[in-house]
Amino acid sequence: MSTTNIITPGQFAPDFELKDINGISIRLSSFRGSKPVVLAFLRGFM
Amino acid sequence: MRDHYQDFTARGAEIIAVGPNDIQSFQQYWANEKMPFIGLPDPEHKVARLYRQEVNLFKLGRMPLNSVLDGEGRIRYIHFGASMSDIPDNETFLNVIDQLNASSN
Repeated sequence: MSTTNIITPGQFAPDFELKDINGISIRLSSFRGSKPVVLAFLRGFM
Repeated sequence: MRDHYQDFTARGAEIIAVGPNDIQSFQQYWANEKMPFIGLPDPEHKVARLYRQEVNLFKLGRMPLNSVLDGEGRIRYIHFGASMSDIPDNETFLNVIDQLNASSN
């Protein structure tokens, strides 16, 4: 079974907002117009 | 990426790491490993689902997913890991960032 990856190069990265480890809300789109972003999704740590 | 964070900031780039662990685990891990960049706990998998990060069926956790966005928020590089260790090396990310910076000048 293969899944289709809907996220493809050239499109805008879907925006989201999460709280960081200090409880401060970070919105991805707040980086627009400023700098490149490496967005990494971790495997998870134990 | 931790040990080469300066290579990224020197190029004007930021690193954001989203993970499935809860905030307490993140705080502990970030402190223990001295992680210098932004860590975003996503224990409800809201953002992981939004980006279709794949679940690892055989172990707890998720498959690595890595991307580079340009200064306008467009995805310029994306890599869906085929295994738990399928993570691009730093050079791959830095090359993409160098190309972005070169084309925006």
